Amino acid sequence: MRKYLLSLLTIMVSISLVLGACAPKPTPTPVPTKVPTATPVPTKAPTATPVPTKGPPDLTGQTITIYHFGDLSGPYAAITAPLIHGAEDAVAAINEAGGLYGATLAIKFADTAGSIDEAVAAYDRFTGEDDNPLVMITYGSGEVEALAQRFAEGKVVNLTAGLSARGFYVDSGYTFGLGPIYPDQIGFVMKFLKENWDTYKPAGAGEEIKLAYLSWPTAFGQGALTDESRAYLADLGIEIVAEEIYDLSPTADTTTAILNGQAAGANVIWTNTLAFGTSVILNDLNALGLRDQFVVCTDNWGMDLATYAFLANPAYGVGLIATFPYLWWTDTDNPGVQYAQQLFEANERTAGEHNVGYLLLIAGVDLAVEAIQHAIDTGGYENLTGEAVHDALIDMSPFEALNGVLRVDFSGGSRSPHTAQIRMIQGGPDAFAVIQNWAEMPDLRPAE
Amino acid sequence: MAILRPAGEFDTGYARDMATIRRPWQWWLLLAFILALYTLPFYAGQSLVSLVNRIGITIIAVQGLNLLTGYTGQISLGQAAFMTTGGYISALLVNNLGWSFFAALPVAAMGAGIVGLLFGLPSLRVKGFYLVMATLAAQFIIPWFTRNAFPDVLNGAQGLNVQVPILLGLEFNRPQRYIYITLTVLILTTIVAHNVSRSRLGRAFVAIRDNDLAAEVLGVNLFKHKLQAFFLAAVYAGVAGALAAHNIRHLNSETFNLTDSVFYLGMLVVGGLGSSLGPIFGAIIVELLIEGATLFGPFFIRTFPSTAAGAVQALRPLFFGTALMLFLIFEPRGLAHRWYLLKAAWRLRPFSH
Repeated sequence: MRKYLLSLLTIMVSISLVLGACAPKPTPTPVPTKVPTATPVPTKAPTATPVPTKGPPDLTGQTITIYHFGDLSGPYAAITAPLIHGAEDAVAAINEAGGLYGATLAIKFADTAGSIDEAVAAYDRFTGEDDNPLVMITYGSGEVEALAQRFAEGKVVNLTAGLSARGFYVDSGYTFGLGPIYPDQIGFVMKFLKENWDTYKPAGAGEEIKLAYLSWPTAFGQGALTDESRAYLADLGIEIVAEEIYDLSPTADTTTAILNGQAAGANVIWTNTLAFGTSVILNDLNALGLRDQFVVCTDNWGMDLATYAFLANPAYGVGLIATFPYLWWTDTDNPGVQYAQQLFEANERTAGEHNVGYLLLIAGVDLAVEAIQHAIDTGGYENLTGEAVHDALIDMSPFEALNGVLRVDFSGGSRSPHTAQIRMIQGGPDAFAVIQNWAEMPDLRPAE
Repeated sequence: MAILRPAGEFDTGYARDMATIRRPWQWWLLLAFILALYTLPFYAGQSLVSLVNRIGITIIAVQGLNLLTGYTGQISLGQAAFMTTGGYISALLVNNLGWSFFAALPVAAMGAGIVGLLFGLPSLRVKGFYLVMATLAAQFIIPWFTRNAFPDVLNGAQGLNVQVPILLGLEFNRPQRYIYITLTVLILTTIVAHNVSRSRLGRAFVAIRDNDLAAEVLGVNLFKHKLQAFFLAAVYAGVAGALAAHNIRHLNSETFNLTDSVFYLGMLVVGGLGSSLGPIFGAIIVELLIEGATLFGPFFIRTFPSTAAGAVQALRPLFFGTALMLFLIFEPRGLAHRWYLLKAAWRLRPFSH
């Protein structure tokens, strides 16, 4: 039996090696954009100089596809569905307006159910379907970390709302953020609090900021605490006195986490979660009668209209502080916000979707389309590849997507934005008041 | 079920009596099927290859659970946790110590097996629901450990980027290549699992499952055999976990979770407990259902935008739950049993009733 098994194993390994070496290559290597003039442009009427950079091309009849995949049926579904609708409405509006130089924009979505395995499957599916995928939009930190290497190898631009520092800067290169990485966010808010402690500190709190990090036990939840952010907080003189976790659920019980934070002497809480994660903290703080003992801060996803849906009482949200790297629906004087509002109304979206996801993805699609357009302008449609879009994103920087709704700067090796506002809930729904206007954030990206 | 054979077919020796594949045409059919799988990257799209790859890895995990639950009757909800163990061991050996994946794989399997042994220890004292609770503990303790222990090595909740396997300079970095590893390992694990079930060890497992008291009276060492079953199940999980980790190229405490463990158990019920074919049928059917839910979701949300967001969230458990319920009611012995009935009916034709 052993002899047969060994023989079988040897044969199978040999066959695997031979077949593996012969396996078909799914993506032919595209022509790099840095030598656009080497490839003549196949125009109908030959011209003396076949350089595609002069004049807008007519791409009527062509289709440019943007892919996106995220959690539609798992724990993060509440935030993902509006993101999808935002992206799809934005694409539909661009097509109605004539497309991109006449080319039709298509958008394809895959559900990952919050599973990294499914995200890899979605990536495989899309790259299998398309020999020249340009841009994929993703939403989860875990997905970003798992796929970063693949995006870099496949030279596919990944615009992402999953703002894990590792996903951007470790074994990465093609992952670009629709917001600042979480270490930057915690550093930004803590620096602000440090500078304005007298204004915001809870009654009876000492002069020192004692931070309790209460969050989900996931890549996203723990994403703000890195070596760089810990060192930065230590430099600011902020001590992390408690690190507690709670369930990724809108009904999670955070009592123990809060009480452990209190016992450790914390006066500031940071939670790196979505709206429902922030809400359970605020609910439990109020239930415990401890709300006035803590300043509660969160990442950009934690302060959203959806926050109110999970609060036991809207007043519990008052005082919540968050990084805010985009404008909000209430900034109605901004043309980008007006445009988003028009799309929202024209597509009869439900009130529950009037949140960060919808707004940000309209800006995200705008960023993607601008980058694709820039790549076409620079290298020509024939040389339009993921690599060309990657170069365009860097070349365009700094850039204000959707008339300044989102501000990005991918220059200097950075692939995540480094400017944001800080906002605080100061009343009923949508009263996200600016307490720190657009400002430079600390750069806490890990070494590449 | 009685083994029905065509008239005139006799066993002329012990080897023939034990043979799984009895006729030349069955050999040819099997070889053609294996050949079709091995050449899949040449005629199928990347998406299908990727799906087959995932199904293959899942089958290995469910085969392990079948040895423990299907043959030995010890219900476990910790299979995914043992996959985490195998994945981490392999990832660390390859990433940090520079081992080849092919050397790390058996070590990861053994490591997961040893951890499985620890969680199998309560099996001598408790059974049924209590044992489920004991194995459930693995699903909490192991992810907790990976999140909190040795943060410099395991990197906490962020987890590890995992290197792709390399053999003689060939990188298995695409589904079209990785599938050869998965298929090769799957064939080996299937042979081993099938032969374990036919050996003295397998008969002891079945005896324990059917009546542990009677088995003990007959001389079966319960403690030893239950632990062996736990060890084997965890070894299989370790292999599956290592394969999955290097395929995904990333691993953290969320990669293999409690839901996966529940799904593996469901696959076993759908496929058929205590049968070599059960894990294969079950994993294929449930993975295809999951894939169906995944593909159906975006279509559903576009068609019914105002109401679909919540409903889509329920699609996957709905598909899985419905399949499980229907099988429990109409075919509690699973698809494998239905397959045996079909084969028997074919052999008895035209007198299938």
